[in-house]
Amino acid sequence: MNFTRLNVKGLIKSLLLRKFTTGLLILQLAITLGLLVNSAILALDTREKISQPTGLDDENILLVSTHPTSGAYRDLDYFRSIVNEDLAKLNQLVGVNSVSITNQLPIRSRGMLSNTHDIDHPDQEKNDKYLKDVKYIIAEEHLAEAMGFTILEGRFLNENDQLDFDSEAKNNIVITESLAKALYGGESAVGHETNNGHIIGVIKDIMLDPTLPRDKQYGLFINTMMKYIFVGRYYVLNVEPGQMAKVRSQVSDTILAVQPERDIFKVFTLAEHLKGFYRDDQGLSDLFLLLCGLMIFVTAISSYAYSQFHISRQKKYIGIRRALGARKKDILLYVLTENWLVYSIGCLLGLGVALAFNILLSQYISLSKPDMMLFLLASAVIFVSGTLATWIPAVQTSNIPPVIATRTV
Amino acid sequence: MRSNSMFAYNLSLALKSFKQAPSLYFLVILTLSIGVGLLCANLALVNSMTSDPIPEKSGQLFHVSMNTWPNDQPQAEPFHILRYREAMKISSSDIPKNSAVFYASGVYARDSASTSLKRFDSSVRATTPGFFALTNAPFAYGSGFAKSSGMEVVIGNELNQKIFAGENSVGKVLELDGELLTIVGVLKPWHLRPLFYHATEGRAFNLTDDIYAPLETSIDLGWSIHARSSSTVSYQGVKFTRDRNVFYLQAWVELENSAQQQAFQYYLDNYSQSLKDAGEHPLAILNELRDVNAWLLEQNIVDQNVLAFTFASVLFLCVCVFNASSLLLSRFHSAKFEVGLRRAIGASNKDMLVQGITESALLGIVAGLLSLLLSWFFLKLSIKFLPDLENLAVLDPKLLMLGMALALVTAIASALYPLYRANRYTISAELK
Amino acid sequence: MLKMNNISRIYQNDTIQTHALRDFSLNVKAGEFVAVTGPSGSGKSTFLNVAGLLDHFDGGQYELDGVSVQGLKDDELSRLRNEKLGFIFQNYNLIPDYSIFDNVDMPLRYRGFSARERKRRVEEALEKVGLASRLKYLPSQLSGGQQQRVAIARALAGEPKILLADEPTGNLDSLMARQVMEILHDLNKDGATIIMVTHDPDQAREVSRNVQVIDGQLADFKIYAPLDRTAGNTGKSVSISAAVEEEMADA
Repeated sequence: MNFTRLNVKGLIKSLLLRKFTTGLLILQLAITLGLLVNSAILALDTREKISQPTGLDDENILLVSTHPTSGAYRDLDYFRSIVNEDLAKLNQLVGVNSVSITNQLPIRSRGMLSNTHDIDHPDQEKNDKYLKDVKYIIAEEHLAEAMGFTILEGRFLNENDQLDFDSEAKNNIVITESLAKALYGGESAVGHETNNGHIIGVIKDIMLDPTLPRDKQYGLFINTMMKYIFVGRYYVLNVEPGQMAKVRSQVSDTILAVQPERDIFKVFTLAEHLKGFYRDDQGLSDLFLLLCGLMIFVTAISSYAYSQFHISRQKKYIGIRRALGARKKDILLYVLTENWLVYSIGCLLGLGVALAFNILLSQYISLSKPDMMLFLLASAVIFVSGTLATWIPAVQTSNIPPVIATRTV
Repeated sequence: MRSNSMFAYNLSLALKSFKQAPSLYFLVILTLSIGVGLLCANLALVNSMTSDPIPEKSGQLFHVSMNTWPNDQPQAEPFHILRYREAMKISSSDIPKNSAVFYASGVYARDSASTSLKRFDSSVRATTPGFFALTNAPFAYGSGFAKSSGMEVVIGNELNQKIFAGENSVGKVLELDGELLTIVGVLKPWHLRPLFYHATEGRAFNLTDDIYAPLETSIDLGWSIHARSSSTVSYQGVKFTRDRNVFYLQAWVELENSAQQQAFQYYLDNYSQSLKDAGEHPLAILNELRDVNAWLLEQNIVDQNVLAFTFASVLFLCVCVFNASSLLLSRFHSAKFEVGLRRAIGASNKDMLVQGITESALLGIVAGLLSLLLSWFFLKLSIKFLPDLENLAVLDPKLLMLGMALALVTAIASALYPLYRANRYTISAELK
Repeated sequence: MLKMNNISRIYQNDTIQTHALRDFSLNVKAGEFVAVTGPSGSGKSTFLNVAGLLDHFDGGQYELDGVSVQGLKDDELSRLRNEKLGFIFQNYNLIPDYSIFDNVDMPLRYRGFSARERKRRVEEALEKVGLASRLKYLPSQLSGGQQQRVAIARALAGEPKILLADEPTGNLDSLMARQVMEILHDLNKDGATIIMVTHDPDQAREVSRNVQVIDGQLADFKIYAPLDRTAGNTGKSVSISAAVEEEMADA
């Protein structure tokens, strides 16, 4: 392309003469760019959230949420016997490595919480507010296997950690790495006593509550599932890689075959659980992308109408240019450059809109700051879609015959 | 008469103009209606979230928050959940016209007389009897229960539809988690948006409950707590909560005037003082009464995602208006010869303006109708992306009106500058 | 310089065929100043459009400065227009948003000249028409005659082989028309080949050669008694009688 054939100063002048229409289009472009940038930020943020490591084998852990529907389960011994049979039957499924039961899942905000401190240092909670809300996970001995926890120190819970139901003795607990650090710093936590029990092991951090900082994933595990069997809402199955679909199709029937008076709400993988946690973020980001699509569409219509309108007024002058020796491609380049100039101004203004919109949005939702790369990318989208939209009018313009120049009207 | 026929004439001109450039007008209508429809759908959500669920007495219903935490673990703000003992203190007061103390639970329900073993997952409001009068719960059949104990329940319309096909089921017996309770009342369809009586824990937009059961009975039956609870001790189920430091009950009172309000505040503070005197209340006395709207505001129930998206759709509507305006500008430009001709044969500037406005108003009406359809569609779409909002997605008549008005205003606004421009074309220049 | 042989141009709509030009032949030599006259609708505009490569033709041969134009691509036609032809229109056809300088500069841009070369040529061309001091003016700030002189400068700046003028004084009052004609005659004197469509018999009479178009054909030619100014021109190029002879032979 040879831009010396264009008179850019002249282009700007002729844009100025169409202040209103050009202004409208530039505003539209700027708003579109602002939305585009922020939607992209939302989409990227969401994607980052969903793809952050959970510390667990997301794809190979299957979860079942269930609840008895019959009054018979108010007899807790009956409840226990059914749960034990469920666990045994699920364990027998081909492809299942390990099965467990818990009162709450990782990757959730709130849930069952307990304040936790070293038995001799209750003021620890005053210095670290997160110690007031430590995830209190009621578990049994197979949970570490089923979830695939990494034991850093000591051991996980075993059968002997389950006390008699009327025992007044202190329970043994396993805590997460970050909780151990919060309570005992660099020192070994195993053997210490907390208000919630005696520490026998530390596991590597997993993502318990994504809304909390990564180093505040405080959790403790206690082997009281059989005592409080009615809180056991989730079965956790560790599945052999590649066997997920098969196992998944069998779990409901397996459970209901043990005893049918149960509601099975959902059978889902941990990966789906993670996605579910961010469902609203994903939904909002999708809505914004949808809106972007609509906006680009509308702006493209405007670009089209703008060129069309402009050309209908410029027909004569295009004819003169042709008569004086402009080739078709010169005219095409002329029209497109005129549009590109408008897009460039729109995009520059859009930078401001993007920043302003980002600030406005961050009053309501959390989102990252715009960066230059995104801005350039969004500008590219504007240029490409705008050029596509104005291609037909531009070609039409270049087809204006030179003979128009000699017509007097 | 003249103005009438003039109007008809303008209308026919507008139609003719539409026919001359159908695709252009189609685009104008399409973009305007998408813009208005999208904004309306969002406003519908915002409207549902910010509306007053019980306008007839929202100023007289008060949520009770108290700070009675028994140890000095800093619990800075008063708690929205109370112990059984505070709850009883509140229900036993005769200052309020009505009071309700309750917690949320859930059971599985079936018709005990049915041969089917199918049970329905039902949300339960375990409450004192004052609840019905306090919330103006609408009864279709029967009435509320009179005491906090007894094997009686009131059921909601939806559950009644599911189990009894909507018939009068008063006197029938339900099996709830293995216990038999008799239905004494059935509610009409009851929509509370927001669900003011339980606006915490992200439940502000849940549906009203399926089953309303007496509080004492629910506790005795051990129906577990399905909402936030907090305790300083461990306990084995709700049965054991009456005399322990377990916080789980919410309380509402109906106070008809500020004198009652003051009296009740005094009553609460007095009670806290007595706890303090007994050494059971180490923290400062802090009891709060919040009326419905203040309480909902404090709970921050308006979905921030929706607000964010509403702003985006306002911007989008702007883009749509700009778009319509530039389309109309090119339309009027290409029709300028006709404008010149009409001016030449004696149409005044005002006539031309009226004609243009008639045309754009007609555009606005068509766009408005289309936007109503689209806003319904966008509402469904929003729910698909943000399923939590499902119970909020209601287009009430107020919003339909707003949608129409918005379409009209935007259509006329889009046409204003193009019209002004068109009327500035000089007669001679166009007819030369 | 310009050789047309049996050119025909047919306009066709659903029902009627109009022969705007039929078997039109004309030969213009370098340095000639040819006036084309004829009643309106006779085809003289069509002739100018075809000669200026603005419009195509349906039959015959057309050779411009040694280049046979039939069958040339659009881009090549554009180049020919740009390099070999200079246009002067009845209504000047200046671009109103552009300054005088930019207007004259425009065709040079399409030629691909460097900025310095363009500037030189623009200034030189405007010098020739006496408007070198008005570079920054907009066309609307000039009188009609001045505008037409700008248009002439624009046509000259590319140093074309032939100037095509379409009723160049049609929109001007007689005084301004006079000035414009003076310039054209001066240019011709300096060697420029000019073809001018006009309806003004006085102007036609002033020039070295006069042809008339009737019903799409070169009907007849008359040589008016040459005014004194044409006398000086004869020595430069072809003598009038020779041109006449050639015309006869072509017909």
